[in-house]
Amino acid sequence: MEHNLYLPKLAEITGIKEEVAGARAIKTFRTAFTNGTRLEYRCGQCAMLSVFGKGEAMISISSSPLVKDYLQFSILKMGRVTTALHELEVGDIIGIRGPYGNGFPIENWKGKNIIFIGGGIGLAPIWSVLQTTLLQKNEYGELTLIYGARTSNDLVFRQECEDLKRKMSVFLSIDVAEPGWNEFVGFVPQNVLDKKPSPSNTVAITCGPPIMIKFVIKALKDLHFEDGQIYTTVENKMKCGIGKCGRCNIGPHYVCKDGPVYSWAELKNLPQEY
Amino acid sequence: MEKILSKKALPQWVKTLTSYKVYFPKKDKDERWNYAEIDHEDINLAFLNTTLPPKKLLFPQKELFLEFAKTADGDQETLEVKEILPDEQPVVIFGVRPCDARAAWLLDKVFAGEFTDPYYWKRRNQTTLVGLACDTPPWENCFCLSVEGSPCSEEGLDILLTDLGDKYFVKSLTEKGATLIRAGKKVFQNPKPEDQKRAQAVQAESVKKIKRQLKDARAISSTLKRMFDSPLWDEESMSCIRCGICTYLCPSCHCFDINDELESASPLKGNRVRTWDTCQFPDFTMHSSGHNPRPEKASRLRQRLCHKFQYFVETYDKFQCVGCGRCISLCPVGIDIIKVLEKVNQHGT
Repeated sequence: MEHNLYLPKLAEITGIKEEVAGARAIKTFRTAFTNGTRLEYRCGQCAMLSVFGKGEAMISISSSPLVKDYLQFSILKMGRVTTALHELEVGDIIGIRGPYGNGFPIENWKGKNIIFIGGGIGLAPIWSVLQTTLLQKNEYGELTLIYGARTSNDLVFRQECEDLKRKMSVFLSIDVAEPGWNEFVGFVPQNVLDKKPSPSNTVAITCGPPIMIKFVIKALKDLHFEDGQIYTTVENKMKCGIGKCGRCNIGPHYVCKDGPVYSWAELKNLPQEY
Repeated sequence: MEKILSKKALPQWVKTLTSYKVYFPKKDKDERWNYAEIDHEDINLAFLNTTLPPKKLLFPQKELFLEFAKTADGDQETLEVKEILPDEQPVVIFGVRPCDARAAWLLDKVFAGEFTDPYYWKRRNQTTLVGLACDTPPWENCFCLSVEGSPCSEEGLDILLTDLGDKYFVKSLTEKGATLIRAGKKVFQNPKPEDQKRAQAVQAESVKKIKRQLKDARAISSTLKRMFDSPLWDEESMSCIRCGICTYLCPSCHCFDINDELESASPLKGNRVRTWDTCQFPDFTMHSSGHNPRPEKASRLRQRLCHKFQYFVETYDKFQCVGCGRCISLCPVGIDIIKVLEKVNQHGT
């Protein structure tokens, strides 16, 4: 019998960082398999996390595959499983199976500029690519981050974003003005249009709420990006992770298996149902 | 291998299958045909078709995936997760209609591929399907011929029986089928040339009796693509009461859910189970944020039909519908996929 794909491996939570407090709380969890093994994965791939007794949730891996000490997940407290995850402590055991999905084709982006465009918790899947390309900075062109959230308190990796400003261009935004906020005020797509990144030798990758993704793509098109230069990672409800349970499909594609990463050239030809 | 089995000898054959769990169609307390483990007095293949397809014996409505439990030893807590695969138990299902066997053949495609489903295949590999060719369409809405099936198709089956009146023409199609015939060797006779001719005649006659037809099914895939944003979906789904019967009774629908069920919260003990699910329920696709890619009935009816007649065709070059007609005959509000697809074809071409 082959390995049972539905069987999670046990992992210990080795670190928890509170990114955002309040009703839309976000925590970053670091985990390590209890049997000492490591997961080989690609930037943009996901893993199915188990809180035994609550169920499973598909979460994108936010750490770089080049980092071998831990697997990192940044998780918005939203449903049954993510709420249970937020109640866990360092030392608690969860289950992990995966990795799932295709990941970003970053090998094809060597020598190109990369613009990362994130909204809210949508920075998590992008973070893996950002960290990886930053660790191999001499192999890529200019790196730029355009990232926004509802309020300054909703920004994840807030301190890391500030630190990044020494290494690359970082443009932050919040939806509504706040005292003491010196950066852009408005939605992420507006910030993209404001910063006017050039499409020349550039790849743009975006993740955020579905509505943000749609308008970011529109903004990039307005800035003359070609469909093949725009990448996004799609989220849908998932149960199996292997293209069998039937719910995450966009047309004939199962996002868990054939996605979650799509170029706009691919995604625009699928039914707009995500 | 081809054999002749007299109808009287059928129970004798079944009696030789001592190592198997044997299922036959049986009328349940609600007067519906269903597959049930036999008591040996009730061996009978005089039925049309079952309400619930035999799918449930390969892909149960609810099945255990794994057990988890926390045990405490002093201050030390240990979490144990135990894989629970189906029991080793050869199964034989008698009286599988060719459409339902074709549906199993389609499920095989879904549960195989790059990621093999160990639960499905454990059951599938130890199950022998003994088909019964339809000499009369079991339902008024049978349309197997329109979706590349037939009342005597062999895909998915291990043995096909054709009713010749007082006897069956028995055709073995796989090694599993041959094993089953070898088990009952004394009860079979070798066919005479006229038996073969009679079987062919019965099959040819049965094909003529299928009344309903979905015209030009292969063209529907591209029409559906063009009709994605059509207002037709709203009109056609208006009467849907989202009961999900169309998918739960479908022999080829495979959508499922995975959930944890607790026996005890403290100390933690419970099961992870797979259950059938349906694309006709709004929460099937609803994100925990409330965002839903398929929020209206229209998008869900469209999904069911597109999955069967476009997406599956694009992926596997087969319809994901075997034309059994259950979803038409048993829909409480009379949604008829043949009529809907004909409208799609009319409007989209």
